[in-house]
Amino acid sequence: MAGGGGRDDEALGREALAYVDALHNLARYLTGNAADAEDLVQETYARALRGAGQFTPGTNLKAWMFRILRNTFVSDVRRRRANPVLGGLDTVIPSGQDAGETAWLRDDVELDRLRHVVAAEIEAAMLALSEDARTVILLDMEGLTEQEVADVMDCAVGTVKSRLARARSTLRERLKDYAR
Amino acid sequence: MSPDERDAALDEALERLPQYPASLALKRRLRDAMPARPPRRPWRQRLRVLVPALAIAASVVALAPLAWDRLMVRPDRERAARLVAEAVNDHVRVLISQQPLEVKSSDSHQVRPWFAGRVDFAPAVRFGGDAEFPLQGGAVGYFIDRKAAVLVYGHRLHTISLLVFPAEGLAWPRRGVTPVGGVEAYAGATRGFNVLLWREGDLGYALVSDAEPGSLHTLALRLVPAS
Repeated sequence: MAGGGGRDDEALGREALAYVDALHNLARYLTGNAADAEDLVQETYARALRGAGQFTPGTNLKAWMFRILRNTFVSDVRRRRANPVLGGLDTVIPSGQDAGETAWLRDDVELDRLRHVVAAEIEAAMLALSEDARTVILLDMEGLTEQEVADVMDCAVGTVKSRLARARSTLRERLKDYAR
Repeated sequence: MSPDERDAALDEALERLPQYPASLALKRRLRDAMPARPPRRPWRQRLRVLVPALAIAASVVALAPLAWDRLMVRPDRERAARLVAEAVNDHVRVLISQQPLEVKSSDSHQVRPWFAGRVDFAPAVRFGGDAEFPLQGGAVGYFIDRKAAVLVYGHRLHTISLLVFPAEGLAWPRRGVTPVGGVEAYAGATRGFNVLLWREGDLGYALVSDAEPGSLHTLALRLVPAS
């Protein structure tokens, strides 16, 4: 990995190292395995250093790094194609289409089950979501604002809101299956 | 169940979502891949450091002469002024006394032995007077806290006192001294009198007169060892 030689590339690179855990976590959930996650993070930092001049000082560096990581992942998937991504958000069942959801959620017993879903089951449910759904949920968990998530995913803020709502709804559905 | 309760339940479940932080090996690889050169500061940030530093440096430069004067020059000057003032006082005491000279003689072999028993040191004086600076006599005076042998020379219409006293314990000026023969002498003036001070061995010497400084210098060259 080599820096781009910009005036503050080194400083930016060092500051970006503070986000390596969060970046690796997203990479792990995007790629689904440790080796690809490490490669993705490493390539993300390489690209960040090369493009350090494009970072706008005063904006959220963490969000900028997430954007590079996601773009790297997407372009890598498109290039390889041999490693198909799970279906896009269009394949996720919208919450409003699940007639049984409301009834299930009104059931205190089922709610109690949801509360006791184990970590492995939550992870499995997450990995079963589309890439966009996983990304939007994980970025939300990282504390990024809707605008920052929109920047990362290169979409409108309104799209982020609807994607997040649908992703959470779908996740609840999947967890319901595990809880039964 | 309200939507808020549903969201809270999901958030609670997501809290248990396994996290995958970067391995130490990856962190090391990334850190090692970073350029070794320390981050360069933007010029604005450098200015924030440089400006106060330059201001401090400028203050030090501006205040250094003042501090030097306060700490080194002024104390030295004050010490010298005290000696000069005391020499003039002794000279004046001799002049205004009823009997300025306790021993009147132009012969140094009579004057110098006269001090024996009157002062607790032997005043070493090389010059016994001549036509230009005739020795007139001697007296016992006081220089600050100690006895002094006072030898009086004439020079035209002027009277010149040579005070000889133990030098130990006196604060002698270290600055503003000039070589006179084989000694370093300090020239001062106060109240219209000129003074030339020097130290030779254990004894201090002070020439005091209303004569010109050049006359004191000429007489001093006959009193001090040759350079």
